[in-house]
Amino acid sequence: MDFLKWGRSPWGEDILIRISWDLLYLSAIGGVLFLIGHALYVRFWPQPVPEKGDAATTAALAARIPERVARHSVAARAFHWVMAAAMFVLLFSAFLPIVGVKFAWVTIHWIAGVILTLSIIYHTVHATFWLDFWSIWPEKGDIEDSRRRMLRGVGQSAPAPRKHGKYPLENKLYHLIILITGLAVIGTGVFMMKRVQTPFFTRNPYLFTDQAWGVMYVAHGLAGVGLVALVMAHVYFAIRPEKLWITYSMIFGWIDRGHYLEHHDPQRWNVARPVPPPPPDEDAAKGRRIAV
Amino acid sequence: MAVIRDVMPAFELFQPANVEEALSLLNRYKSDAWVMAGGLDSFDWLKDRIKRPKVVVDLVGVKELEGVRASGDGLEIGAMTTLTDLVRHPLVREKFGMLLEAAEAAASPQIRNQGTIGGNVSQDTRCWYYRDGWECYRAGGNICYADTPTAMNREHAIFDADRCVAVNPSDTAPALIALDAKMVIRSTSGEQIVDAEHYFIGPGIDITRMTVLKPGDLLVAIRIPGTWAGSQFYFEKVRDRKVWDFPLVNVASVMKTSGGTIQDLRLALNGVAAHPVRLRAVEAAVRGKPRNEQTAEMAGLMAIEGAKPLRHNGYKLPLVRNLVKRAIRGVEGSWTS
Amino acid sequence: MPERTLVGQNYTTPDLVAKVTGKAKYAEDYRAEGMLFCKLLLSPMPHARVRRIDSSKALAMKGVVGVLTADDFPPVKPDQSGLKPEQALTNEPVYQGEPILAVAAVDEVTAADAIELIELDLEPLPFAVDPIESLRPEGANARLEGNAYVDRKVATLKWTAEDFREVAAGRLPFGKGADEWKVGDVDAGFKQADVVIDETVVIQSTGHQPLETRTAMAYWQNGKLYLHGSTQSVARTVASVAGWVGVEPSKVVIVSEYTGGGFGSKIPGAHSMAIPALLSKKTGRPVMMRISREEEHFIGRARAGMQARARLGMRKDGRITALDLYIVMDNGPYSAQGDARSSGSIASLAYQPMTMRFRSVAVLTNTPPRTSQRSPGGMQVNAILEPIITKAARKLGLDQVAVRHINAPAGKAPYGPPGQNGKQRYVTSAFVKEALDRGVELFGWDARKGRSGQRRGSKARGIGVAVSPYVGGSIGFDAIMTIRPDGRLYFQSGIGNLGTHSTIDVHRVAAELLGMPWEKCEVIWGDTSKHVPWSCSSAGSQTVHAMTRAAHAGAMDAKRKLQELAAHDLGGKPDDYDVSNERVHRKGNASGGLTFAQAAKRAIELGGKYDGHELPKDINPMTKTSATALAGLGLMGVAKDNYPRDGDTHSYVVGFAEVEVDVETGAYQILDYTAVADCGTVLHPHSLAGQIHGGSVLGMGHAIGQRWTYDQHYGRPLAKRFHHTKPPTILDVPVAMKWDAVNIPDPETPVGARGIGEPPVGAGYGAVLNALVDALGDDAFRRTPVTPDVIVAALDAGKWTHEALTAHV
Repeated sequence: MDFLKWGRSPWGEDILIRISWDLLYLSAIGGVLFLIGHALYVRFWPQPVPEKGDAATTAALAARIPERVARHSVAARAFHWVMAAAMFVLLFSAFLPIVGVKFAWVTIHWIAGVILTLSIIYHTVHATFWLDFWSIWPEKGDIEDSRRRMLRGVGQSAPAPRKHGKYPLENKLYHLIILITGLAVIGTGVFMMKRVQTPFFTRNPYLFTDQAWGVMYVAHGLAGVGLVALVMAHVYFAIRPEKLWITYSMIFGWIDRGHYLEHHDPQRWNVARPVPPPPPDEDAAKGRRIAV
Repeated sequence: MAVIRDVMPAFELFQPANVEEALSLLNRYKSDAWVMAGGLDSFDWLKDRIKRPKVVVDLVGVKELEGVRASGDGLEIGAMTTLTDLVRHPLVREKFGMLLEAAEAAASPQIRNQGTIGGNVSQDTRCWYYRDGWECYRAGGNICYADTPTAMNREHAIFDADRCVAVNPSDTAPALIALDAKMVIRSTSGEQIVDAEHYFIGPGIDITRMTVLKPGDLLVAIRIPGTWAGSQFYFEKVRDRKVWDFPLVNVASVMKTSGGTIQDLRLALNGVAAHPVRLRAVEAAVRGKPRNEQTAEMAGLMAIEGAKPLRHNGYKLPLVRNLVKRAIRGVEGSWTS
Repeated sequence: MPERTLVGQNYTTPDLVAKVTGKAKYAEDYRAEGMLFCKLLLSPMPHARVRRIDSSKALAMKGVVGVLTADDFPPVKPDQSGLKPEQALTNEPVYQGEPILAVAAVDEVTAADAIELIELDLEPLPFAVDPIESLRPEGANARLEGNAYVDRKVATLKWTAEDFREVAAGRLPFGKGADEWKVGDVDAGFKQADVVIDETVVIQSTGHQPLETRTAMAYWQNGKLYLHGSTQSVARTVASVAGWVGVEPSKVVIVSEYTGGGFGSKIPGAHSMAIPALLSKKTGRPVMMRISREEEHFIGRARAGMQARARLGMRKDGRITALDLYIVMDNGPYSAQGDARSSGSIASLAYQPMTMRFRSVAVLTNTPPRTSQRSPGGMQVNAILEPIITKAARKLGLDQVAVRHINAPAGKAPYGPPGQNGKQRYVTSAFVKEALDRGVELFGWDARKGRSGQRRGSKARGIGVAVSPYVGGSIGFDAIMTIRPDGRLYFQSGIGNLGTHSTIDVHRVAAELLGMPWEKCEVIWGDTSKHVPWSCSSAGSQTVHAMTRAAHAGAMDAKRKLQELAAHDLGGKPDDYDVSNERVHRKGNASGGLTFAQAAKRAIELGGKYDGHELPKDINPMTKTSATALAGLGLMGVAKDNYPRDGDTHSYVVGFAEVEVDVETGAYQILDYTAVADCGTVLHPHSLAGQIHGGSVLGMGHAIGQRWTYDQHYGRPLAKRFHHTKPPTILDVPVAMKWDAVNIPDPETPVGARGIGEPPVGAGYGAVLNALVDALGDDAFRRTPVTPDVIVAALDAGKWTHEALTAHV
């Protein structure tokens, strides 16, 4: 199997054209195998029992947790679904013709690309200034938690990991990798629009050297086929029964108190209502605790 | 690998004697097979070693694909009928004079003696970058060399460019579309009939093909219904030379009028996009209108709506406008000496 | 003057039947025992350096016999320009398509397959395909040594940013670095003018593309090279092939009985002939090199295109008071071309401007090598100036013919740059006014004027006339003829047989002088082993003039020897004798004396000068060698043309055309064309008609569509084959073209005949362009060819819209 497709410049030089579309099938097969593997793992491997917290504390906390914990603002949800739609359109318009479903895909593809780009610019600004910016980035503690969770996942003994903050590490990593692949496709895709007729640019395929374009096409292709697997995984998790509550949150914007308490660490993601004025010392102690 | 042109390499040649044999060969070799009719398009590719099929299926021996036959009040033309035989056929002359004009406008007498109607409609584009072996989109690459700030694209597309700006060079194609011809396609899995208009595909759908023919498919005949027989025809081809030249633009129309009013018409152009363009909007707009200068003028202007000229082909806008105008109202005046 | 029994009469040339029946053998038709075929590997880049060639896989193929590279050629040193002369293979290709190596194999498919196995490592170098782009301050040079010829040396020439503001405005700037000459005070000339036209125009480059490509076959026998090729001169090709191959001329035999056209591209022979010659030497087997149409585009030579600006001042009466002409010539990548210089001279001759300034720059480009193409420089300047003159006439309300008449050269008309004495050179004679008068009558100009610029429906008519001079002859060549004991007259001809008939025609002068019936004459041509005399190249329209003079001199020599021999044998003085009726006899007694057969026998017996054992001192060494070989065969006439000549020989054609343009589509038809030649005495009317019409059609082709096209980014051609370069077809030219000649003998040559190959080209070109101006007005085009797209876009916009200065579009 070739990983890259080479062509010939008008001067007879070997130039990189793009990745081999074999990689698309590789990515898709890889994605499917992962899903099957994961599904089998969940179905047949004894799952670790979640740690029960200190009942009293939980109860006290629960009292202060709203019935519906707001997870995603309307703006954030709108972004997610616009981005998702754009991504599906991009993937289908890119890859359906390759697998034999022929239609005029280029205009659809670049328009979806422009929408994706604009939505991401919006998201970047919105997340930076209006959202809890750091909540989505992996942090040092996540690594230890992750190690413990994995050991426990395969039946080894390990100290209990912390519960998640607003986003589990998987979520954070997924975001990170989507961000990298997304930037790669967008960054290359914007320049690739110079190679086709659009209302924005005068077409100029000579903007870069053949070699530079080759690298760009390969990056676009790699990110693109990578996204096939990533999106498959994402959709898979979104429809897994035990994860549906998260999916609902992306639709309705909230999770219920139970899921919050079960999966999230209130210290890492504090959604508690301010308590009614308690005795001063207790208040200070509690305040400290929460502030830790 | 160094490049050399003009020396045909070795390949395996099949010369089936009938359609069944041809189809079974095409089915056996699929995309490794090259279908050759008159050879006028094929030999360029083969001699220049740009297209290198493993197998060439030469249809010259398939006699059942030759000839023009009456079919109801229309015609059925075998795909291997030469343009010369088509032009000389009395039924073509009698009923579909425009097809005669279009076929006679193609290439040169020598080429028409050898070239077939099936080959003429199925021929590849003549974009001089692509035909010279530049590895563009159409050749499997990721670039169009004909639409760059320094490209030479006098003969390229003004409509429907989807990455590729090549044009379809056929002279008979727009005439067949105007006449509402049906293309009869066979493969080992059966026969399908496609409207001439939908026989041609643009680069958006498939950038490496000009027609719906897939590996294994064979165009066996073209059927022209009697619907437009003897109606008012207009065909004109504008080219640099009077013979042996592809069209800069050509236009074909069939029209039925009643008392100076256009009752119905079909109108198609070629040389402006990677597929012949049927001007449905223009047809709809002029139907029921008086056949006069004003209607013609309007039709001409409508015809170029949405056209996107390239660096060297802006002239195609006034040319299309004028040709469509003439297709509606005819050519005005002339000299006697 | 003798009675005209042969000169001016039609006849069938001895090569004709073979040509029209396909029996004629051209270079490609020869075969030799063990012959190999070779194919060429062409440079994919417009300018590069060969880093490495790996032929091992190719050589390992069954049937592959040898590979030839530039390293197998005799070494060459840079000439005075600073550039190394062109060789047939190179390690520094300077245009895309330049041959780098050749593979010889048992057949062409094997050779081609072997080429595909060769690994070639090239280092791309800077390149330029458009002269103007190369003159930009940041523009690339076509050669490592520079980009232009400045004072005959290759140097780097760049114009200023300010100059390029003019370019952006669509005008050619009068940039620095040009060669310049002046006649009179041009500024004062413009002051006298009532109208001044200033236009920038582009004239296309075109390949010569003769129907026979430069195919050649070579083999060696006993240390001698036998080369079957295609050439415009058999005699002259020996020395050039010897030079390219690196052997003495005495070791080269050229065989070329038939040449399928040259148009200047095979003078004499072709560099590429060295490839089969050296491959044959290397492999020890005969080698055939067939050149394809596409390869011919690359190595087959081309006409230099021009980007030019002309300012022309005209007085109310139509007289041209001033001409200021600036030409940027696309020189191609190799030696300096003379087209632009000729443009200056021909402009000054054709229109006799009262004052003139001429400037030109030869810019190197990475496009195929240029060389003279039928009317080099003359044709281009016709295309530059004719429409401008017509526009000036239109502005002044003057008739096109009247304006040509008042400016026409006459008699010993001056032309060209002033010499060291401050005076211009002059021509031998010119009868252009007579030609114009005859043309007006034959074409029916006055009747057609009513249609000038008229429109009916979408069809506009226009008429045009153009005057086109070109050089028409050289002097100083030799003739060898023998009257043999069989009573026949044998002519040795070293002239190339490229379709003009002059190979044969010129000898009719000698036959006529000697009173020999043509049926008893034989012309031996096409093979240098058959002892041919020193002859001119059939180029620069020299042959009819130069070789009729030589034939005349040879016949006079034979006649003198016949007279002397008769006096010797029969008594009396040589002057008492005359020749006629195949006899040498006393004047007044045509049946007495000796028959030619007897005289031939006696000449052999007497020997000495009579049969060629003693030769004139002034003949060329080649003639001497040939005559020596023929000595003793009969009575030999052998002489050099020593006739005096006052002036430079030129011929002239005036062309008249009518066109009909469809203003809705831009398509047009040349309805009618008439040409009248002033080429002195008419030698062979059929052949002259062929030259006048053929040359005119070449010009029409340049007006209506012939071109090539280059992609500027990669420096590669897109139009290489006939369906892209679009030479005119039979349907593009008028069905019946008329012609005539004024048939007034040139006073400076004994026969009165001048050459005619080149002048018709500019006449056809200019007449069609002028007819288009007449039909479409002054602003329809500023470049050639004028194709339907140019016209329809201009008519739509009300003004020409094509790019003003871009070359190779």
